[in-house]
Parts: sequence; structure tokens; C-alpha cells
Amino acid sequence: MMIEEKLHSSPMEEVRAASEEIRARFLETGDSAGALASRTSLADAMIAQAHQEFLAPAFPDGLALMAVGGYGRRELFPHSDVDVLILVEGGPPVGKAKEALARFLQTIWDSSLRLSHSVHTVRDCIELHEQNIELNVSLLDQRFLTGDAALYAELKSKLPRFYQSQKDSLARHLCRLTQERHHKFHATIHHLEPNIKEAPGGLRDLHLIGWLGKLTGAQPGEDLASAREYLFALRCLLHLQSNRDNNLLNFDFQEEFASRAFLGVSGPAPLMRAYFRSARRIHRSALRLMDSVQAKSNSLLANFREWRSRLSNAEFTVSKDRVLFRNSQQLEKDPELALRMFHLVARHSVPLHPETERKVQENLPVLSKHYGQPRPVWEAVHDITTQSGAAFALRTMHECGLLGAIFPEWAGVECYVIRDFNHRYTVDEHTLIAIEALDELARTTDPARQRFAGLLSEVDDLAALRLALVFHDTGKGEESESHCIESARLAGIAADRIGMPELSRRMMLTLIERHLDLSGAMNRDLQDPATARWLGERLETIEVLKSLTLLTYADISAVNPSAMSPWRLDQLWRVYRTAQKELTRELLTEKIVSSTPEREAFLKGLPKRYLRIHTEAEIQQHLRLEEQRRETSLVVDVRKHNGTYHLTVLAKDRLFLFASVAGALASFGMNILKAEAFCNQQGTVLDTFAFSDPQHTLELNPQEIDRLRLTLERVISGRADVKSLLKNRPRPSAPSKGSRIEPSVSIDDEASDSATLIEVVAQDRPGLLNDLSSALSEAGCNIELVLIDTEAHKAIDVFYVTANGRKLDPAKAETLEARLVAACASS
Amino acid sequence: MKKIEAIIQPFKLEEVKEAMKSIGVDGMTVTEVRGHGRQKGHKEVYRGREYQVDLLPKVKLELVVADGRVGEVIKALSGAARTGKIGDGKIFVSDVMEAIRIRNDDRGETAL
Repeated sequence: MMIEEKLHSSPMEEVRAASEEIRARFLETGDSAGALASRTSLADAMIAQAHQEFLAPAFPDGLALMAVGGYGRRELFPHSDVDVLILVEGGPPVGKAKEALARFLQTIWDSSLRLSHSVHTVRDCIELHEQNIELNVSLLDQRFLTGDAALYAELKSKLPRFYQSQKDSLARHLCRLTQERHHKFHATIHHLEPNIKEAPGGLRDLHLIGWLGKLTGAQPGEDLASAREYLFALRCLLHLQSNRDNNLLNFDFQEEFASRAFLGVSGPAPLMRAYFRSARRIHRSALRLMDSVQAKSNSLLANFREWRSRLSNAEFTVSKDRVLFRNSQQLEKDPELALRMFHLVARHSVPLHPETERKVQENLPVLSKHYGQPRPVWEAVHDITTQSGAAFALRTMHECGLLGAIFPEWAGVECYVIRDFNHRYTVDEHTLIAIEALDELARTTDPARQRFAGLLSEVDDLAALRLALVFHDTGKGEESESHCIESARLAGIAADRIGMPELSRRMMLTLIERHLDLSGAMNRDLQDPATARWLGERLETIEVLKSLTLLTYADISAVNPSAMSPWRLDQLWRVYRTAQKELTRELLTEKIVSSTPEREAFLKGLPKRYLRIHTEAEIQQHLRLEEQRRETSLVVDVRKHNGTYHLTVLAKDRLFLFASVAGALASFGMNILKAEAFCNQQGTVLDTFAFSDPQHTLELNPQEIDRLRLTLERVISGRADVKSLLKNRPRPSAPSKGSRIEPSVSIDDEASDSATLIEVVAQDRPGLLNDLSSALSEAGCNIELVLIDTEAHKAIDVFYVTANGRKLDPAKAETLEARLVAACASS
Repeated sequence: MKKIEAIIQPFKLEEVKEAMKSIGVDGMTVTEVRGHGRQKGHKEVYRGREYQVDLLPKVKLELVVADGRVGEVIKALSGAARTGKIGDGKIFVSDVMEAIRIRNDDRGETAL
């Protein structure tokens, strides 16, 4: 009785005492490798002892014990399962032998080691188990413990051949399982409370790297020892402090572990940064290995990748769908090569070759130094951020460290953890997901989202919008009262350094400063006129409103996967419409009332929008033109800027004025992109047109600019008839039916306080604007204000009109509607 | 015990929560819902196209209170949620047979 009691109680006490010792030693030194090895030895000893006692007598031969999985690798964490494979000859044991096995297992269990066992024959072990690939994989890490050495030797001699024949299939299975696992975590490492075993960049990815290495010989390409060590230490701590197999590094543990001296961090934020840095390296290595495995096994993919080689140019080679430097030494001498490379990446969504990533990372100190100084690289940044693959390029730039090198302001939020119940990701990841949400919007088929996609197609300054997203939360990395203001301050510094033009800069800063306004308005009474007025004052122009609506859409979508619920989507659209109606209403109402005496005569009575959309330099130029106009009664100014022509007309208001200008431009084959017509209190009209020259007429024949100017002067002053000019224009080919936009005319009597609002959405064509504005003038309408916008082939034309100084009467409005629809069609 | 369900305007949520707190009602469930009542929605014209907007965003509150508190809770709730305009919402009151606190199996009003 005494002996039996001793036998049953001592293994447990032994394990408990040894575990206590391992725990104490680890908490003192932080030596995770030591802790894992000690626990492995402890399990080895316990199993050997129990085997000797129960199994050896019952199985003199025909049974061997093997350690597999993490135990096989000698990586036994404090509360990990002890994976043992019981190798038998023939079928499962029966009778006395089964009883002996049961006692063996019970003894191990009673010792408080969590044994996880399986019984297999040699034949089982060298067969591919499609449904239980884990068995095949766990044997990659096998080692002999005790028992029938000859039986084990038989298996050991057969395993290499099995793996040789099945390596491709196993590797593919592993990749698929890993992708499924990553998918559960939305394929990102940046979870605020990460599962450090299963999440991307966790220990499972390290295992994967080891397995793929054993199967295919592929190497991760970078030394992961320190990353491994850090994860090991964290998992040891998690197991010891939660007293179970827990792998979720939640906020409480982050706080608690930060005080462990051996982790070498000074608080929860640095602790998590160090974690994300390790996870990122592991994750990247795992993705690279998986990529090489999959490319090998998929010839269609391989062909596509070869096809993409044609993207190569003088500076970069695209090989197997990966970008390489032609001359890898060049980057050090020419740091702006990096931006040109990312233009290629953004344009074609083609990833970097690992060698290229390494080269960029190696040169980060040089790059940081270069971009830390004021450099006029705006054009390059603009070219990256306006491409269809902008989100992909920005993510790649972030991953290789370039984004932080160009914008040190960004570095402050890299891997930055926000302790917020709703947020799922770190600030940098949240930001990148937000930018991706915009890209996804362009492809959406959900009707509720298509309304927002429509807005996206109408945004002119995509660079300002995307950069506003990049910087919108950078202020969270700094101590400040409002992160919106702080983020805008940081973005302003960055904008100055890269030479961002005034209007884009202004747009970006406004978007950042106001980036919480619309979500705030979602909690206000949208039927209250005060809410509408507040929105109008904050947002100022329809352009800001559109971009801010999209930024808000992206920002909410990136909080967590379900944050942008149908409910929020509806609310955001209601906010957009409330603000849009208000901005439409106030355009004619909110006028510039006073200014400095020199400016007053010109500015007084222009809508406030004028000040909001023009830079000081442009205003100065308009003032100079106005001085000229006083002498000549009419001024026509044409200049070219960034590939677009800009026309400014100052004249006394008269009927058909706007129509004449639009018609004259059309008669020269110019394509009107944007136009605005305002009138000040003295009755001077300021018409601004932006147009392109699709046939390069002005570019190839510089004297044509003078002829255009003269023609404009003649039609404006009524000395030439625009209709006869237009007669000679060749008719454009009609667009295909599928892409045709059905014209729609809506007449709104309530949108504005003093005028009737007419909105025309139609297929753009040369002369459209002339036809529409002529139809208005012919009907005796006075055009008070015009906003014209063309996106792709869609023209959105808004006219504020009056007749005899009042809004249109209903009968007139009705006939006008029919005339305008007809005008859209005629050409 | 009575269950009080209230459909209110989203922007009134904070005020209602405050009102509940001030009379000592701490627990409630809040859901973002969409629906319509007599308001029925309306037509919207955007970019020349008509859209029927029939479901409007609202917030649904659910709380269960002791019988004796129903009057007081409804008074505070409707007072805080009212603007006097169409669309202010509705309150529904129904009987609750039992309440159980999962943690310790408390029953009835002690579980509230």
C-alpha cells in the first residue's frame, strides 16, 4: 500500500517541483530556450520512467515511443501538450497489452503533463493522409524516445523517401492551411491583442518556415533568431502567468509583461512594437517561402509572371513578377530611384523581389537622411498616390521601411497600439486598411456602397485624399490635446518638405483637421438647420465634402471588419446629403462682404467659395487682370499649368456670355474639364475654365493660342457669332451604347434661397456646355453661377439661374427641362 | 418585471443614457436598427435619379425594470428622446416572466 501510494504520488510531485524550478529560473533570467529544454528533458525522463515501469514488461518489442511536433523539436512550453507517437507493429494493442498502455498513459496524465498521443504503424506513417496532414507534418519533427529501437529504425529509414516523393504535395497542403489560418486573422499581424501562436507572424509561421525548409530546402532569407527568441519569451510568460496553454497577448498581459527587465522594454507600447517587428519579419519570410512554393507548382501563374517581364525598363527589371534594380548599387547614389520604383509598383501592382526589399532596407539610413531634408519630390509622390495600385504601393513602402524614411512623421505610429475597445488594429495597419478600403470601393457591387464609389470617381485630388489618410492618425503617436490638429501639424511639415502645391496641401490639411466631423455629425440631429449650417461652415466646399465623406468611409471601415455596418453606411450618406444640400444652398447666399479696400471692389459679392478654392497667388493674379479690365472692358487670359490649360475671363455680364466662351473653346476642339462662373456686386463676371487639348492643337501650333484668345474676345464682345464657328467642327463619334450615360435634368426650387438650381448629368461631348447654356439663355434665364465638372465621360453641370431677378416659375421650369434634355442629345 | 423597448432618434441616445443614469437605471442594450413608422420614408433625388428612402437609421434600446419603476423610466425616457417632430420614435412595454443572472443564477428582480 505504502509503495503503491509512493509510486502514484511521486511523479506528480516530481513534475510540480521541476516545473516550479523552471518557472523561477525563467522569470529570473528570461532564458526561454533553457526553460523549453528543461521541460523537454523533464517530459523525456517521466516518459522513460513510466515506459520502463508499465510498457517494457508488456512490450519487450513491437512498440516504440517517439516525440513529435513541438515536443519533437524540444520546444516544450510550460503548458504545451506533450505530443507522443506510439509506434506499434501490427494493429492496436489488445488485452493485457492494452491495459499496460492505459496505465502508462494514466501515469503520465496523473503527473500533470498534458499528454497528447496517437498510435500508428510504420505503414501509417509513410502514407499521405489528405484528411490528416498534421500526422505527416508532425513526423517532420520526430525523434526517438524509448522502446523498440529496431522498429523505430525501420521507420526512420523509410521516412526520407516518403518525404522526397510527397514534398510538393505536402508543401502545397501546408500553404493552403496557412492561408486559411491567416485568413481567420484577416491576413494581418497588427492585432491589438494578438494570438502569438496562430496569428500571422506568430509561432505557427515559424513552424511553417521550418517545415518548408525541411521539405524543399528553401531558406527564409533572413536571420529570424532574435524574432524567434522574443516570441518564445512572450509565450513562456503567457503560459506561466495564465497557468494554462494561453496564447492571447491581451491588454492586461501587455501591461504586466512590460515590467519584465529581460524583455528590455520600457512600457506596453514598446513591448508591442518589439512584438510586431518580430512578427513582421516572420510573417514576411513565411509569405516569401509560400510564394516560391506556389509559383513552382502553378504553371499558369508562372506564365503570367513571365508575361509581366515586359514591364521592365531602363532602371528596373521585372522578373517572375517581381521588381529588381538593374543596378543595385545605384540606390545609394540616387535615393530618388526608390520613388521611381514605387511608381512602377503602384501602376502595375507588382511586388518587390526579396532582394530588392533587402537592398531598400540596407539603404534606409541613406534614404532617411536624404528625404529628411527638404526635397521637391512632390511630383513623384503624386505619381505614386494617384495610381490604381496606390494602396498596394503604400503598403509595400511601409513594409520595407521606406514610408517611414520619407515621412519620419509616419514612423511615430508604426506598430502603435491604441487601447480602444472598438479598434482591432495598430494605427499603421488601420491606416493602410483604410487606404485599401478606398481602392475596394472602386470595385464594389453593393448598391449602398456604389453611391460612395460614385463620389470617388468625382474626386479630382486623389493624392491629397490618400495622403490625408496616410497622415490622419499620425498625431496619435504624440502627446497632444487633439490628434486631428497634431496630425495636421505633422502632415504640414511633411508637405513643406516635399514641396506639395498650395491647393493640395490646403485640401489635405483640411481633411485631416476635420476627419472626425462627419462621424460626429452622425450623432447630431440632421433635420436641424443648425447641424446643416455647422457642416457647411466646417467643410466650406463641395470638393472637401466629397473627399471627407470618402475619408470617413475609409476610416470607419478600417476600425474593425464589421464597423461599417449598413446602419453607419446609411447615416454617413445622410450626413453627406445634408451637407451637400447646405453647400448648394449657401453658394449664392454666403458672399464675401468685406475685404481690404484695394480688393473690396472686386471681391465684394463673389461667393465665399471663391476664397476657398483659390490660392493667394491666384487672387493676386485676378486682381491684376481686373485692373486691366477696367481699361479694356474685357480680359482673356490663357495659361498652361501641369498639362492643363486655364482660361480666365473678366467681363461685364450679359446674356449668352458663358455660352459664347464654352462654344468658342469647343470650336477649337478643346475639352472642358471644369468651369465656374461667378459674378460680383458690380456685375463683373469672372469665368474660369480648365480645359485639355486632346488633339494637341495648341501645343503643335503655338500661334493658335493667340487666335483662340482673339476669337474669345470677339465672341464675348459680340463681334463674332459662336454658332457659325461651331458649324465647321467635325461631329464626334457617338459613344458605344453600353457606356452611354442617359441624360438627366433635375430642377430644384428649394436648394437655393434666391435662384433655381438646375443640375444636368449627361454624357460629355464637345459643345455640350455651349448647347446647355445657350438653351438657358434662349429661355431668358440669367445664369447667376455655374459649376461644371467632368469625370471620365460624365459631365455634371450645375447652373443657378433666375428670370427677372427671381426663381423660375413652375411652368417655365417644365419647358426648360424638356429643352435641356433635348440639348444633351443634340450635337 | 417589465421590458421597455424604445425606438429613438440616433442623436438622442446620449441624452437618453444620461436620463437613465440620473434615475439609477444602469443596464440597457442598444442596437443600431433601421426602419420606418408613420414617417414612411421619402423620395430623394440625387444626381438626377430618384431614390426611395424607406428605412431610416434609428436606435433601439431594451431595458428590463421592476414593475414599480415603469412609469418613472418611461417619463424620463420619453422626456429625453422628444424633439416634438415626426420621427421621434416609440416605446413599447411588455411583461417579463423571469430574469436570470447567468453568473450566479440570481432570479427575478435581484437579477436586474
